[in-house]
Parts: sequence; C-alpha cells; structure tokens
Amino acid sequence: MEFHQPTTLDDALTLLAADPEALPLAGGATLVAMLNAELIEPSALVSLGGICELHTIEATPEGGLRLGAMLSHATLASEARLTGGNAVMRQAAAQIAHPAVRNIGTLGGAVAHGDPSSDLPAALVAADAVIEVAGPSGRRSIAAEGFFEDYLTTALEEGEMVAAVILPPQPESAVGHYEKFARVHGDYATLSVAVVLAMASGKCSHVRIALGAAGATPVRVVAAEARLIGSSLDAGAISEAAALLTAASDPVDDVRGSADYRLMLVPRLLTRALAAAGGAP
Amino acid sequence: MIIEEEFAVDAALAHVWQCIRDPGFVAPCVPGCQDVEDIGDGAYRAAVKVGIGPIKTTFNLDIEVLEETPPTFARVETRGQEGTNASRLTAKSELTLTASGNDATHVHYKSDVQVVGRLAKFGLGIMKKKAKALGAEFAENFRNAAEA
Repeated sequence: MEFHQPTTLDDALTLLAADPEALPLAGGATLVAMLNAELIEPSALVSLGGICELHTIEATPEGGLRLGAMLSHATLASEARLTGGNAVMRQAAAQIAHPAVRNIGTLGGAVAHGDPSSDLPAALVAADAVIEVAGPSGRRSIAAEGFFEDYLTTALEEGEMVAAVILPPQPESAVGHYEKFARVHGDYATLSVAVVLAMASGKCSHVRIALGAAGATPVRVVAAEARLIGSSLDAGAISEAAALLTAASDPVDDVRGSADYRLMLVPRLLTRALAAAGGAP
Repeated sequence: MIIEEEFAVDAALAHVWQCIRDPGFVAPCVPGCQDVEDIGDGAYRAAVKVGIGPIKTTFNLDIEVLEETPPTFARVETRGQEGTNASRLTAKSELTLTASGNDATHVHYKSDVQVVGRLAKFGLGIMKKKAKALGAEFAENFRNAAEA
C-alpha cells in the first residue's frame, strides 16, 4: 500500500483521481481501525494532514463559520465561536468517544464516513450546515441534509473529498443543544437528538431537529418542526412532534439497543433536548 | 440472522415458479450478481458483489436446491466465501409460493444467514438492514421481470 503526503489540496485530488482504489486519510480514527480489521483494502492512502487550508476556521461574509475538514473534534469542542445555535456542533464534538479519539478524529473524516450513529451528522443537519466538497471537476456545495444518503454512503463521488463545513448564521436568539444517550460514556449513541431552537415571547420561533442513530441517515421531519413552531413547547406539541419523528425513524437492532428501545427514546430525548435549549415551559 | 420477506407478483403461480427456478431469469434480478453457472442436479455457482460504503466484497456462492415441491416450495442452501476466504457465509433458505387468485402469486422467503470472518466484525445491525434493502431491490426487479 502506498502512502502519499501532499501539501496542497490540488495535489491530493490529483493523487485520488489517478487511483480509484486510493482513499484520503484524515485523522484515521475510523479509517485505520477499519484497515486493522481488514474491512477495507485501499491501494494507497493520501494523507491530508499536511494541507494547510484544511486546518483553518474563518468567519463567512454571511456571519457564519467555515470549518476546515481537518479540524479535530477536540478543536471543535473548545471552539469559542461555536455559540448560539451553532453550539450544537461544539456539544456534539465534545461527546465523541474519548479525548484520545477527539484529538485525532476530524470533522471531514466523520462527515465523509457518514455513520448515522456517530455524533456530527445529526448536529450538522440540525445546524443546516453545508458540506463543501472538492473534486477533480472543482468544488461544489451540498446541504448536510442531502449529503448523507445511506449507511456509510454520502453524496461524495469518486475522487471527491470533504474540504470544509459551512455553518450558517443562526437566528439571533437561537440555542443549540446535542442530547446523547449512550450505554456508557464514550460509546456511540443509542439515540441522539440535535436541536437548534429559538424562542420569542414564550413561543417557539425557530426549530430544527435531527435524530442520530435513528436510521440510515440523520432523521429530520419538517412537519414535526412545523408542529412546534408557534407553540409554547407544551407537552402536547412535543408529543405530536415526537410521534412524527418516531414514525420516520428506522433504527437498527444491535448491542446498543433494540430498534423498539431506540424508538421509545425519541420522545424522552426530544423533551430533554428542547428543555436544555431553553424551551422549558 | 433471520431475514424474512414477502412480496406479491401479478402473475400466475406456474409462471412465477418457472421464473424463480430459472437461474438465467433470477440472476439479473439479484443486486450485484455478476455471473451464474448451472452445474446440474439443482446446484449453481454465482458471484455476487456487495458493499456498504467503502467496504466492498465479492462472494463466490455455491447454491444448492436441497428439496422442492413444484410449484410451491423450495429449500435452498447457499455457501459462499470471499475470494481470499476472509469471510464465509452460509444461508439456509425456504421459499414458499402461494396462489392468490388466478393471476397473482404471493412469494415468501425466510433465510437464516450466518457470516463469519472479517465482515462479521462489522456488526449485525447494519448488515441486516443492508440485507433487507437488497431483498427489497430483488423483489422489485423480480416482480417487474415476471410481470413483463
């Protein structure tokens, strides 16, 4: 297996284009574990660690943030600019596995891996993030909601990689919260709820909700959000929204919980997440 | 893991049975099936390509019809391995066809699938979902072909 260490994004893309069996290596938290388990057999690894532009955080002209793909989860977890609604990203990153994994695992790696039980995908959908993809035919932007297509399957095409994640400016009073339920600290979520919520005069004025580990991709239901907007987030409204989210979920049965158990967590975690985001009546 | 599915085909029972026992008919309906060879006495060889994201493999399968009661029942055993023998698969399946009226047939199958080796490290939860999705894709392809 060959190992390449390009220093520019263009060089990395050229190397990936030249060999369809090559894989980009970000932090390696998941990819190296999969190599060790012999689940993947790439012909070459193209390390992205030496590409400066992937390590940057910058404010966008619109008032949001552009996060380079090679930022570690630990960096995101301590990023002071992830406030308000975008705090959902900071909280999700802070709850990924353990410090050692957060130090090597990266934003771009987690996004490209597209594991629905990992923490960042749901947070990205709740934050209405945009994934900036670089490939042989240039750059394109894909809304997070459409980016995750199936288990470990994303909208990335051959030769493409994640270059950055763009978080939009959130509504002024918005609060983000990531509610994760796991068997033990540091495990993958049995179920998680990412929420960005804004309240005005006791009524919900903005809400985006995405569930993690609830299906093949993060689960978002526009009708559930519509049921909450304008309400005071009373128990009846939350219960109807939760029923819509539950109906759209199709979780796996595994050691982290049966599918039925995961579905039962939806209303409970949604209630907690909304309360934590400032929606307590 | 047990995979159990059923689907309806708008075609007579005899026709559906004929289709389902014809490897040349079934092979193109199986997602990822690359080639199938009839080696006689109800035994077949096939290569099937499957993958979840970056994890991709080709299983070389030996399929044997152990018992059949035309036109309603067949018991099939499938054994397979990856090219490198890194994972092995065994599936014991039962297929039941029931006529529902003159021009419609109900197809039911139940498979007990065991996977050992490197792919078993992947976790059964997603594997079962993937098997279900492939089953649904097969049902759709088979229905379209049999009704044509």
